[in-house]
Amino acid sequence: MISAKMISSVTFLYLFCTVLYFNYLAFRSNRLGKIATGMAWLTLLIHTAAILLRWVESYQLGIGHAPLSNMYESLVFFSWCIALLYLLWEWRLKSSVVGAFAMPFAFLFIAYASLAPGVSDRIDPLIPALQSNWLHAHVITCFLSYASFALSCGVSIMYLMKLRYQEKGEKESGFWALFPSLDALDDLVYKTIVVGFPLLAIGIVTGAAWANYAWGSYWSWDPKETWSLITWFVYAIFIHARFVGEWRGKRTAILSIVGFIAVIFTYFGVNYVLSGLHSYA
Amino acid sequence: MSKKEEKGLFSSLWGSLSSLRLTIALLIILAVASIFGTVIPQNASPEEYLRAYKLSTYKILKILGFLDMYHAGWFVFLLALLSLNLVACSLKRFRITLRFFYPGAHLEEDQWKAMPLNKKFSQKGFPAEGLPQYREALSLVFSKPKVLEGPRAYHLFAEKGKFSRLGVYFIHLSILVILGGALIGSFFGFRGHVNIVEGEAADRVILRSAGQIQPLGFGLKLEKFSVSFYPSGAPKEFKSTLTILEGERQVLTEPIRVNHPLTYKGITFYQSSYGIAGIEKAILAIKDRESPRELIVSAQMDRRTEIPGTSSSFLLAEFIPDFQGMGPAFQVIFFEPSRPHENFWVFQHHPEIDQKRPDRYQFTIKEFEPRYYSGLQVTKDPGVWVVWVGCFLMMAGFYMAFFMSHRRVWVKLTEKGAGTLVEIAGSSHRDRLGFEKEFEKIEQALKGNSSKARKPTTESGAKND
Repeated sequence: MISAKMISSVTFLYLFCTVLYFNYLAFRSNRLGKIATGMAWLTLLIHTAAILLRWVESYQLGIGHAPLSNMYESLVFFSWCIALLYLLWEWRLKSSVVGAFAMPFAFLFIAYASLAPGVSDRIDPLIPALQSNWLHAHVITCFLSYASFALSCGVSIMYLMKLRYQEKGEKESGFWALFPSLDALDDLVYKTIVVGFPLLAIGIVTGAAWANYAWGSYWSWDPKETWSLITWFVYAIFIHARFVGEWRGKRTAILSIVGFIAVIFTYFGVNYVLSGLHSYA
Repeated sequence: MSKKEEKGLFSSLWGSLSSLRLTIALLIILAVASIFGTVIPQNASPEEYLRAYKLSTYKILKILGFLDMYHAGWFVFLLALLSLNLVACSLKRFRITLRFFYPGAHLEEDQWKAMPLNKKFSQKGFPAEGLPQYREALSLVFSKPKVLEGPRAYHLFAEKGKFSRLGVYFIHLSILVILGGALIGSFFGFRGHVNIVEGEAADRVILRSAGQIQPLGFGLKLEKFSVSFYPSGAPKEFKSTLTILEGERQVLTEPIRVNHPLTYKGITFYQSSYGIAGIEKAILAIKDRESPRELIVSAQMDRRTEIPGTSSSFLLAEFIPDFQGMGPAFQVIFFEPSRPHENFWVFQHHPEIDQKRPDRYQFTIKEFEPRYYSGLQVTKDPGVWVVWVGCFLMMAGFYMAFFMSHRRVWVKLTEKGAGTLVEIAGSSHRDRLGFEKEFEKIEQALKGNSSKARKPTTESGAKND
């Protein structure tokens, strides 16, 4: 399969992008920043082509379905969502500083897809439970929300690093000078969550609607459902603490990281540690 | 004194009920409890629990309701408390929000200064003369203002996206609606299960919760069940063809598949499992060691079948779909005159086993026609539409709360010498950056009073002349 080979090479391209974005931070040359951005868009383009090709390949095998149906495909799509959302933010903010903290996520997830044992890149036909149009709406909204939370986590890490550096009382120089201000980082942590939170709600709702068609119950406290709700609660706490409780900065940054840990557990932990209806992905 | 104490108690109770602290505490407790619920298997059998836990642990977990946690009294209580907290917080906040719906055009001096965006400039002409143009300009680039004639000044007020302030209430309400829908479902609905064998009918189902029987009020016949597989062996489709029976009358016949249930009279049937209930017939090949011939015989379960041309016969006594991982197997009882009968197993996928048997006749299973049963999940949930309405409300609420912003602009016109002092203030409760650009536009429109924005009014003025 050509698509799987393309995806392996995209993995290395994301690693390369990560290196470029770190170089930009280290050498603070705008040209390096532009090169990193250009490379990231190119990688995303190839990544998109690989996903589309895999879709075509599944039709050639006579079992055509959108490439969103197993662990491998979901990881590849997750990585794609992270890269896309990051580049859209970069375009809007006109700054490539965050790239060094966003691209590693895109790299790690796609690398896991290609390298992890037990994650097969085979195109399998859809089992009866997955033969539903809800699959697309559910998977797309969930992974866009996860990706938004991943970005928020990356920015939170930047925030905490910068805060720690500032608390040392040293003069801002080099690496740190390029970082956006604490307020700007804090704002970005919040904005990415405000995008992810409703998307996760839609993801849960489309999942519930689907479950209602497939299993006859929109909510059955299955571990995946429950963990997605727990994740949603963490971000609900974030939003309320910030809006009403006026939490800012360090505390909300930590909450955002906790939220992303919950995301990761919802995604992987439930599959590997707990058992339930969601054994496919 | 006691009355005052009562009042104090009530208000402090209200205070804590409507506090954000309670919200956050409840969300944390619910989240942590839910984690336990995903780690401890829910609604498993006592045997399964005792395999995983010590008897004492099992008893404690059972008493604390951790084995059916999401329906335990304390969990439901926490959900109810969260709902109350939601209502209390919303009511408390709503009083403040309501103020935005009855805005005054007039802004006090200190309020004016507190506005995030402020501008001041002078224009020619008296305020009274310029008023229509300012009003027009504001309408064109922003929205139609309200005008208040003050003692020495004109106050203009315009706003956009005020409903954005209601978004949060839509979201909170939607959660109550969803929980309400779930309550309706649990009181007036049921979830059950029924296994129907092909060709047979059922008119009642076994409920999930207590194993009680729930009559359907009509009959349900399974005409046929079929299962198909991909070449890899993974299942491709499970299909049950069902007929609804009202007494003797056949109302409708429809196939159901996974993801394609059938609803009749508010009760929905889902394809959930299947199995083999029996064997219609089996085709066997019988080989005679003493002659080269091989006989093909069709047999039914529990019926003695003669082996043609001999005085022997056999009977298929039992069928096991998967005999110890070796696939389908039949138990054969073999009769020969003046000899005790023999009893052995024949495996479809392992014909070599029977070849080792030293007897004269060897059996091979060519094929068999199973009689399937289909397992159906049967659900009645009159609350499900309420839940969907709640979800829809939530989406609308999210859009309003997070992607719309309430933007307000105040303009004050005061006489200054022979001209007008124009003061503008603005605020937006979200998307400050976007609003700054819009505010800029408003300022330009008010300044460009004599050029762009004024055009339509000058023309009409000219006509009047």
